[in-house]
Amino acid sequence: MTLSGALAQFLSNIKTGALLVVPPESNNQQPESVGLTEVHYAQLLESATQLRAQHKGLKGKTLSIRYNNLCDFVTELLAFDGWCAELYLLPDGDSPALPEDCVDRPDMDGGSELKSTDPVEPVQTRWYLATSGTTDRPKWIGHSLVGLTHSIKYSERLSCLIWGLVYQPFRFAGLQVVLQALLTGAKLVDASSGDIAVRLQRLKQGEVTAISATPTLWRQFLMSGQLHSMQLSQLTLGGEVADQGILDALATVFSKASIRHIYASTEAGVGFAVSDRRAGFPRIWLEQGYDNIRFKVDEHQHLWIKPATLAQEGIVGRVDKQGYLDTEDLVELKGDRALFLGRASGAINVGGNKVHPQQVEQVLLDLPEVMQARVYGHTSSVMGQLVAAQIVATQRVDVIVLKKQILKHCMSKLLRHQVPLLLEFVEQIDSNAAGKIGRGNVNE
Amino acid sequence: MNTEQIIREAMYQVAEISDCQLMEPIREDTVLLQSGLDSLGFAMLVAQLEEDLGIDPFTEMAIPVYPNTFGEFVRIYQQYAEQSQDGQ
Repeated sequence: MTLSGALAQFLSNIKTGALLVVPPESNNQQPESVGLTEVHYAQLLESATQLRAQHKGLKGKTLSIRYNNLCDFVTELLAFDGWCAELYLLPDGDSPALPEDCVDRPDMDGGSELKSTDPVEPVQTRWYLATSGTTDRPKWIGHSLVGLTHSIKYSERLSCLIWGLVYQPFRFAGLQVVLQALLTGAKLVDASSGDIAVRLQRLKQGEVTAISATPTLWRQFLMSGQLHSMQLSQLTLGGEVADQGILDALATVFSKASIRHIYASTEAGVGFAVSDRRAGFPRIWLEQGYDNIRFKVDEHQHLWIKPATLAQEGIVGRVDKQGYLDTEDLVELKGDRALFLGRASGAINVGGNKVHPQQVEQVLLDLPEVMQARVYGHTSSVMGQLVAAQIVATQRVDVIVLKKQILKHCMSKLLRHQVPLLLEFVEQIDSNAAGKIGRGNVNE
Repeated sequence: MNTEQIIREAMYQVAEISDCQLMEPIREDTVLLQSGLDSLGFAMLVAQLEEDLGIDPFTEMAIPVYPNTFGEFVRIYQQYAEQSQDGQ
């Protein structure tokens, strides 16, 4: 299976589907005055065929793709899936190291060494996506197209949806939305950049009926007061834990819509959706499995999953003999539900952005007045978690002055969502028997 | 201080801590997303108010509505405080 092949086959039967994007040349204009341009999937497929023909030399090679705009990005995916051996989708921030033989398109030659008599059998391209660094530093995880599109099914209802893209398309969640729209022939409205007002404007202009977003972004949409005017029939929540509050609030506005929250593991290469409008997932799945996925919870509350197709690379050592992968997500069994608690590593999820406590602690310890620091996630009903810190300060220091000094220092060294805005000064910090700082969530 | 005054006070504190420039003046009909607090600042505000007032109406979502304006935000806290007292 190739992406272009699947799309071509699809388009030969049902001629629907298009990207609705802001024309690149209108970037300097006021967002309100800019209309959306429709680019049909058939056009993208044609451009992809031309692009591939121009870069025949890339056959079997390793290529990195940098996102500039949605049309070019999708065209490149269509052109080089099935042609290059490996595709690396570059993230916007820190990128893990690329293989030495990896080329990017502007740097390569025209590549005409391939003669017309060369075989044109498609290759099984491996797609590499950067993790957002949940467990440690960002790393590449390889996927097959089959694995990435495993949960996508075609139906007439799905093909009539108009998807709003609010995630970055080079991340796992965003790519899922792009592939979902392409392979069901649904329209896709690009609202992946801009502030909340601009995104809402695009979503309304495009008359979207389906959105997949983080619970934090859904809360902002609700606060805008503009969500009510949209005719959403499919709402998906992902990227962080969906609590009962946000599920109830969305159900109040969209009483007839399908509301699902997604659990996705980039490492496992798949996820699953829960659509009963309740937080967590049914406990009975631990016995019965769900949608070709098996689940188990170990004595340390780690959730292990065994998907139908497992992303094979980058996870060696985390798969047990039965083929289950340790997701390193913690769950609590409560009544008939399994509820998500967060990451076993203590990594903090601030509205879908991962923060490593150790990194923040190092920055805090730069200051001579800070003797010891413990950084942890404080549960937030608005952003899932906030970064909080306990500080042991040197004696005879004015904590009010120190607090300002700490915040100023952290603002200069860290990204905004990484700054420990909640600071508590304590006499001592508890450590476990091994001398490690406890990372439990103290406000739970 | 009444609930509204406590919320105003907390907003100024949070704006300073989280490096946000608050809109002046904050009125009843000020749209929260345009008040100068971004989503992180707003999350901080709710955390600060949990400390000051001992309640977070958005945790259990006893009132499953998200506020659009400052006035709506204050009313949710007032309503929730009343509900909590009635329940005691």
